[in-house]
Amino acid sequence: MIELEHVSKNYGSVAAVRDVSLSLGRGQVVGLLGPNGAGKSTIIKMVACLLAPSLGRVRVCGHDTIDASAEVRSQIGYLPEFAPLYPEMTAEGYLRYRAGLYPLSRAKRHAGIEMAIDRCHLREMRSRRISALSKGYRQRVGLAAAILHEPRVVILDEPTTGLDPAQIRQTRALLRELAGDKLVLLSSHILPEIETTCDRVLIIAQGRLCADGTPAELLGSALAETATIAELAPGDAHRAPELARALQAAGAANITIEGHTLHVKPIPPTPGTPRADPRHLIATHARALGLTLVGLHTPRPTLEQVFLRVIAEGRA
Amino acid sequence: MKTTLTIAQREFASFFRTPLGWVVMALFLLLSGFVFARFALQPGMPASMRDFFTLWWRILVVITPAISMRLFSEEHRAGTIDPLLSAPAGELSVVLGKYLGALCFLIACLAPTLVYAGVLMILSNPDPGPILAGYLGVVLLGMLQLALGLLASLYTSSQTLAFLSTLFILVGVEFTATSLASAAPAPWDGVLLGLSTDLRIADFAKGVIDTSHIAYFLIASGWLLSLATLALRARRWR
Repeated sequence: MIELEHVSKNYGSVAAVRDVSLSLGRGQVVGLLGPNGAGKSTIIKMVACLLAPSLGRVRVCGHDTIDASAEVRSQIGYLPEFAPLYPEMTAEGYLRYRAGLYPLSRAKRHAGIEMAIDRCHLREMRSRRISALSKGYRQRVGLAAAILHEPRVVILDEPTTGLDPAQIRQTRALLRELAGDKLVLLSSHILPEIETTCDRVLIIAQGRLCADGTPAELLGSALAETATIAELAPGDAHRAPELARALQAAGAANITIEGHTLHVKPIPPTPGTPRADPRHLIATHARALGLTLVGLHTPRPTLEQVFLRVIAEGRA
Repeated sequence: MKTTLTIAQREFASFFRTPLGWVVMALFLLLSGFVFARFALQPGMPASMRDFFTLWWRILVVITPAISMRLFSEEHRAGTIDPLLSAPAGELSVVLGKYLGALCFLIACLAPTLVYAGVLMILSNPDPGPILAGYLGVVLLGMLQLALGLLASLYTSSQTLAFLSTLFILVGVEFTATSLASAAPAPWDGVLLGLSTDLRIADFAKGVIDTSHIAYFLIASGWLLSLATLALRARRWR
């Protein structure tokens, strides 16, 4: 539903997005992750027909964002960061105004507004002035405006900025619900939000697409680089180098020793065989040498580690 | 068309939902009331609103920039321009919608001044022709000034800057046209005088409806609105 083909965007001599290509399908929540200034908002604005790519093409639902901009805009719902609204209007008045900007019949406009009010839990606040609403409710009004015309693609720029934890949870649930028959593209630099909400994560750094995969795939790739920590009994600390030598002889190349603790990097797999679990190797050799292991674990990597690694690689 | 009307309706209503709209309207009625009382409602003077309309250039030159200054500047400042432009409304619809909303507000400000004409009708027997021509001239002048103000508001997120730049251009063009015309050789003197909207309004105030004046105001307004549409389109594809 969203396709970027070798898209670059320059602001004068500054390259904000560099040769990004991707294809996103319906029924998923896709998170665009990156540090501030990475190019997330530029990509989102190009998809929302608010900026033109300097190079390449952006297509939404098969339409080019430049040649068929109006068709693209009728298929998308866009909520910018901080949910800009007209404070002097009521929530319902604003939704009526927004519905009037789309080519909808009167009945569809009415149905769309009621659906959006229900989905965003705005029924009690519909008659309130936007200036009197809390930040969370304003965000919901913005979200309701983005979905009232039943768009096929919903684009949200930092949708949970400034919300309290309960509001964040509600927004996440709504996003998951929306993804049923739509594509939801959201940008964020809040890692837990991406990890818990998104089916697919795109990490952007320095304007480049540095990683693309499901959260599980990205975590899996990080797991393959996470050192296993083996803790010997304090009395066996002097024999740690002996265990390290045995492990090195068995193929573990990267081992560091800190007191009675060994950090063993994963053993590179040999062609045709599955990746060996370093814990088995360590346990086997420790037992053979008569050493007592008091701890043996591989810490679960976090998306934050994946993010930081990818960003560092991107900068390099 | 529906989109244009939707935007116009919101724009028009927003003037009455914010203090700015009421302040502008109050200032407008105060100034126009003063001019009416001072120049049209004088014992022994002819029952005419000619002097009243002649002075309206000076009122509108302050009022129309105050109306137009927020049209796009506020959208830029608040960030609401992005959701507006991400909707399938064309740039021309957005420009026309905002323009119509502002023009309707100006007409709403003008409407209470019809009371002045009513007062004059009660007290005397004025010729309605020059009064109608005067109002036509004021609306046409307002259309041109609002179009310029809308264009200025597209280029800044500061309402103050939009107000001052519109005021500066309006006063600057008028001053340049009238002050240089006497020194300029023919045919440039005529060209410069042709730029003066104050002189054109004076004709309307006399009751003269000159089609060249009407064409001037309509073409100049249309040209400025076309520039605004192009500027908005350029913003999207920058």
